[in-house]
This record gives sequence, structure tokens and C-alpha cells, in this order.
Amino acid sequence: MNGSLELWLFAVALGTSLLGGLLGMASGIFIVPILTIFGRIDLHTAVGASLISVIACSCAGAAPFLQDRLTNIRLAILLETATTFGALCGVFVAGLIPPKYLFVIFALILLLSAQQMAARRKEPPRAKLAGASDLDLGCAVQRLPLGMALMYGAGLISALLGIGSGVLKIPAMDTALRLPIKVSSATSNFMIGVTAAASAGAYFVRGEILTPVAAPIALGSVVGAVLGARILMKVPNDKLRLMFVCILVILSAQMMLAAFGINLIEAAP
Amino acid sequence: MKVDIASHPRLEQTLGALLHYGTIFASCVIASGLALSLDAGATGWRVATAGLVLFILLPVVRVAAMLILFLRAREYRFGAIAALVMSIMLLSFFLGTP
Repeated sequence: MNGSLELWLFAVALGTSLLGGLLGMASGIFIVPILTIFGRIDLHTAVGASLISVIACSCAGAAPFLQDRLTNIRLAILLETATTFGALCGVFVAGLIPPKYLFVIFALILLLSAQQMAARRKEPPRAKLAGASDLDLGCAVQRLPLGMALMYGAGLISALLGIGSGVLKIPAMDTALRLPIKVSSATSNFMIGVTAAASAGAYFVRGEILTPVAAPIALGSVVGAVLGARILMKVPNDKLRLMFVCILVILSAQMMLAAFGINLIEAAP
Repeated sequence: MKVDIASHPRLEQTLGALLHYGTIFASCVIASGLALSLDAGATGWRVATAGLVLFILLPVVRVAAMLILFLRAREYRFGAIAALVMSIMLLSFFLGTP
């Protein structure tokens, strides 16, 4: 083996997990475009490796949130019924959709993420700052069906594209369930591991998770997630945010072109 | 419905420790597999694959742990929800078989 591909994959995973952590989003949304556009790696392989990265980031980042009692584990397990069911459906649909359309869906999700990042997140009205650990279902229950529906969509998209689907979970948490941002970020991070594992298991059984690609990605993600959590507070957020809006739009355009077999960027490794 | 957390404050700590040490263990297995692959080739890749399987199973174990902890705390409703999540995950694994 020559180690250069592994090193490149490790570096990509480290960088994306680190920056993803700084911006409060999962690394998957960057990993799949980078692997397919720069690495010329097959889409299904990239999605499989990215799912491993999502699990690694979720597991590596969960402990501090749990320690601070920011994670609402009861709400998480309740919503996980919807996300895992969505993932189960997504695993089946993924085999049926031609990669061309997956690229188009990915491009749209990237655009949606760019839009979400540009419009900075506001604390939802009447957000309850009650302890994250007590689940007052009386308050959330009226909007729970909407929240569950969005979570089902998040699980489906996660299995199809190998992303954490924060882009769908965040509106679900903010708008439908009205949780404080810190609580919803921690709870979302806790949930994406289970969601991604539901589909990663199926991808693995099908032989679509290739160790030479996924192993360096997993390691890089753990290192990136741990470092990202350390320096979370020290980076000025606005410039970073703007930079990422641009990157997301560029990646979205290139993913759209890739759907038609056009790749403007030279292969990297 | 309000759930009193004070009666079993260890839930978060147990899950946090499980995910923390699970991540370290799986990462070490993958790292040693990659290191071995430089030398031993196929054996190394097999070890690394085992590490990836550990990572995929870690969330399943986390849900199983929640199931046990909820049952122990006599929170049967949440225990049932955890059991449902676990069965959906396992179903996905088995139905994924070509």
C-alpha cells in the first residue's frame, strides 16, 4: 500500500470534523463532496465512509454534552424512533436511486445548508431553559407530529447521502419543538450516531463500506471532533461563517455539475 | 408528564463513559489495524475492519444500555421506546443483507 491516499483521507476527515465542530454541524456534508469531487471516489463508497465519520464525531463529542446535562436523552430516544425508521427506508431507496439523482439531492441539501448558515440561528421564541433532562411532553406534544415527520426526513436523507442531516434536524428542534439552541445541538449530536449507525450497518453488510477508505476517515474524524470541542469558543464566528457559506455554494454547484458527469476540479491525491 | 431525574442521576454519566471509552477503544483498534497493514497487509486490514464494526455497534450498545437503565429505573415507557429503536436498527442490518 502507499500511504498517501490514507494520509489524505485522514487529513480531510480531521479538517472537516474540526471545522464542522466549530460551526456546530456534522462533517458528513463536506466529506462526501470532497471525496467524490477531489478524490474521484465512487459515491456509494463516499457515503459509506462518511456515515462512519458521522458516528465517530457523534460518539467522540457526546460525553462532554452529557456531563453538562445538555443532552435531552429522553427526547433523543423518542425522536430516534423516527430517524432510525427514516434511515431504514433510506437504505432501501439508496439502492434504487441512480447516483445522478443523489448528486442533485446533495446539491440541494448543500444549498439549504448555505442558506441556514447565512441566516444565523436565533433562539426560538419561548424556548424553555428548563433542565435538558426533564422532558416536559405537555409543552412539546402538540408539535410532536411535525417534529417526528421532520426527523423521519432527516433519517432518510442521512441514509441516502451519508450526512448527519443537521440541516433538517435543526429546524425540527427549533421550530417544531422549540428547544434552546444548546440543548438542541447536544441532543442532535447525540442522535446522529444512532441514525447513522442504523444505515452504516446495512451499508457494511452490503459491502459498501471499504476499510481502506473508511478507516483513515474514522480516525481523522475522532481527532478532529476532539480538537474542535476544545477550541469551540476561541474562533471569531462571523468570518468563518461567511467563508463556509461560499464553500457550501461552490460545492453545491460542483455537485450539480457532477450529476451530469462534469468535473471541473483536478483529482487531488 | 415530568420525569424526575434526581432519582437516577447516573444515566448521563454512564452513557457518557460508555461513548467515551467505546470511542477510544474502537479508534485504537483501527489505528493498530492501519499500522499493521503497512507490514502485514491483509491481517492489518482485517483488524481495521473490526474497528469499523466496533464503531457501527457502539450506538447500538448505547441504545441497549439505555434500555437496561430505563427498565432498572422502572421507566417502562421509555424502555419500550429504546427497545423499538434497537429493533429498527437490527432490522436495518438484517434487511441490508443482499
